[in-house]
Amino acid sequence: MSKGFNRLMDAVVRIDVREIAFEAGARRYTASIGSGVIMSADGIVLTNAHVASRRAIELNVTLANLERVSAKLVGWDHWTDLAVLRIDMDEVARRGFKFSHAEFGDSTKLFAGQQVYAVGTPHGLTRTVTRGIVSNPNRYFEDTRGIGGYETGTFNTWLQTDAAINPGNSGGPLVTDDGKVIGISSRGYLGANNLGFAIPSATARAVLERLVRDGGVERSYVGIVPGALQDLENFYALESNRGLLINSVDPGSPAAKAGLRGGDIVLAIDGAKVDGRFPEQLPPIQNLIAGKPVGVRLSLTVKRAAETRDYAVMTEKLESRVGEEWAFEKWGLSVRKVSRAFARENQLDDTSGVVVIGVQPGFPGDVAGVTRGDVILKINQQSIASLEVLKTAHAAYEAKPSPTLLETMRNRRVSLYILKP
Amino acid sequence: MIRFSVLLRAACHLGWFALPLVLNAADLPTLWAERVKSVVAVEYVTETEVDRRPSTATGTVIDANGTIILPTGAIDPRTAMGQLKDFKIYLPGDAVGSKGEYLGQDAYTGWHFVRADAAVRGKLTPITAFAPKDAGREPALAEWVWGIGLRAKDEDFVPYIMQSHMALIQSLPQRTGIAQQDVAAPGLPVFNQDGTFVGLALASFGQSFLQFSRNNRGNPVLLVNVEESSAFTLAPEILPNLGRIPKHVSGRPLAWLGAYGLEPMDREVAKFLNLSAQSGAVVSEVLEGSPAEKAGLRNRDIVLSLDGKPLPQLKPDRVIVGYIEREIERRAPGDAVTLTVLRGTERVELKAVLGEEPKLIREAERKYFERIGVASREFVYGDAIERRVKAIESAGAIVHYVKPSSPAAIAGLRLEDWIKEIDGTEVKTFAAAVARLAEIEKDTVRPEFVMLVSRGGETAVLRVKLK
Repeated sequence: MSKGFNRLMDAVVRIDVREIAFEAGARRYTASIGSGVIMSADGIVLTNAHVASRRAIELNVTLANLERVSAKLVGWDHWTDLAVLRIDMDEVARRGFKFSHAEFGDSTKLFAGQQVYAVGTPHGLTRTVTRGIVSNPNRYFEDTRGIGGYETGTFNTWLQTDAAINPGNSGGPLVTDDGKVIGISSRGYLGANNLGFAIPSATARAVLERLVRDGGVERSYVGIVPGALQDLENFYALESNRGLLINSVDPGSPAAKAGLRGGDIVLAIDGAKVDGRFPEQLPPIQNLIAGKPVGVRLSLTVKRAAETRDYAVMTEKLESRVGEEWAFEKWGLSVRKVSRAFARENQLDDTSGVVVIGVQPGFPGDVAGVTRGDVILKINQQSIASLEVLKTAHAAYEAKPSPTLLETMRNRRVSLYILKP
Repeated sequence: MIRFSVLLRAACHLGWFALPLVLNAADLPTLWAERVKSVVAVEYVTETEVDRRPSTATGTVIDANGTIILPTGAIDPRTAMGQLKDFKIYLPGDAVGSKGEYLGQDAYTGWHFVRADAAVRGKLTPITAFAPKDAGREPALAEWVWGIGLRAKDEDFVPYIMQSHMALIQSLPQRTGIAQQDVAAPGLPVFNQDGTFVGLALASFGQSFLQFSRNNRGNPVLLVNVEESSAFTLAPEILPNLGRIPKHVSGRPLAWLGAYGLEPMDREVAKFLNLSAQSGAVVSEVLEGSPAEKAGLRNRDIVLSLDGKPLPQLKPDRVIVGYIEREIERRAPGDAVTLTVLRGTERVELKAVLGEEPKLIREAERKYFERIGVASREFVYGDAIERRVKAIESAGAIVHYVKPSSPAAIAGLRLEDWIKEIDGTEVKTFAAAVARLAEIEKDTVRPEFVMLVSRGGETAVLRVKLK
């Protein structure tokens, strides 16, 4: 193999993760294995967000020499399914280990049929190299399930490859002959043959930089759900290759406040023309909007029937529908804070309350009748503005258990329950 | 005392299936022959856009005019009146059947009323002929009861006997008898040993079983017998309501309060709220423009009593919701009801004047467009509630049926989609939607049209290719 490829092999790592899971109505610990690639001499490791998440409590990295060192999470971005770790360099120095680091290649220059290799830890098999070709360098797919409930894939298209990608390959590099990282292997279709997907290096490079610097990526949100225009140009009396179809506008979002609605066509954003004829063209436009600063006014040139005019839309900070999670073990309830996106999707009045994500059988929550999916709005008639409200009530219950009143909502139906010691 | 206990043991020894000695062996066939004339099978057809589905139900004759009541579950509540066709009445053992007329459903009892053709009325005996002399009497524990079942149509609805003993009487909230075994087909009467009418069978309650297979060691399953039932509403709850024959096939007038999402509370919650020996129900939402809103009821109020009568503690807890609903349905629009509610820590008394229930989905106008492959129906009040939009500001058309593989289906149109725009023009009324779709349906040259629909709070632009 090339010198570059050998160097890459010295930069690929296995990642062992121990993380906390809240879903059971209690704190539980789970272990999993993934892959990663060292991208700098100071021990920065790039991997998937679904390998190393914010729930990780212990991260161990196995270097090319098969020695294990510990690492810490530096940054996390579920929207692109990328995360960054830093190897404990003191430990590396103390134990006299060496590693090399990989370099990015240019994913925008890839062509279908180009030979690529995936390196990683499929099913725990450390340092496995598989070979294939780029099947499609610009794959679009809608991801409705996300990663562990977190939204993903809105802002980039994917590299599709037939190099074997199995569970455990996640976070490992997809490389060209010269060992340049052109993608981060991320997922495969279960039950399909050789349909693997990677995040292109063009996306990974930009996100890595932000994660190292800020620990996260701040994006803007306006609340437009685009649809491909495809053959609708005639209907909308548009010239070809022009305009972005708004399929839906999130209720209560900045776009809705500005008066935009489904069926409108965005011709330009801040004067820059947009073209959303095919689904593959939608993620870059979404990324363009997301890349605008938070809290600024965007000018959207919009065509509605015969009329074309500009709409001013204020960007707001993009947030996940998944809020902060916690387990209240004395009650046997694990919960997730209601986020702004969740409140909008479920037509809640505001973001107060928590969603029940786990109930432990036989514990007070279960005995009272609370079930998964209930939104707890009040505790002892006090509104739950933040998790702190519940934490305080739980601490009081722990110190002196006494009947506690919950007000919950499910499908707009309000119920009262008593948590009883 | 001693003699009594000995006798009882002897009775047990004979087994539950032995008939009590008071009934002569000759009596039962006579009672049977008379009472079988009180039951019929009713067949009807549900006619949808593309098919005709026959259904059968069993019912009981209630008067000399050949009026028959069918249980609540005999007809799917989502079915529009206009879709119910070809009612036919079959006497037990009758292969031919005769014409029947659907009279509508009564909201309070839930019964569907059907009337038999004059020609067969003479062959029917109303159940009132067997009414008890003591109107309030309930069967005793372990009392022997019997009822009638009807075989299926291919066996000419031949009648057969079922018999059992009383196991339990519950308030659900109506007084409901539960026998040890199935005792009658749903909707058919139950009698005691002298042939007195003691109740009308309900839809069967489910029974829990474990299902074993080669791979599974005992999965819990719930089995519901749709042909026979062991539960029946007691006669004192039935007889006073036989006069509730709907004046109109829609079942109107329908009393309406507009307190949405009534939720029961368990005894722990009642205790926490210092409600002793009574129950309450939380009002999830007060509906826009409803009598409840006008009376000043608020979201999260807890209903404690109706007309000064505290809500009873019934089991299971959920029964209280049915109790309140029946209290409303029992009344007529224009009637007043006084509610006592708990609001925070304060007790508030409200007087509501019941209104007329807004148009129901089953009453909505409908129109089918064969070539496009869509049936749409009028947007009604319930649609606004479901979609959490203001009813006064909302109108238009809802997709009621999408024909498989039709242009509409291929475009991705789904059931319950709310049609907001057709070809870029806002749909303001159902009539406008129908006019627009009819025009498109007729136009054989047009290659496509575009719809904007709303579903689950999101919208989608759909292109329907017609050729």
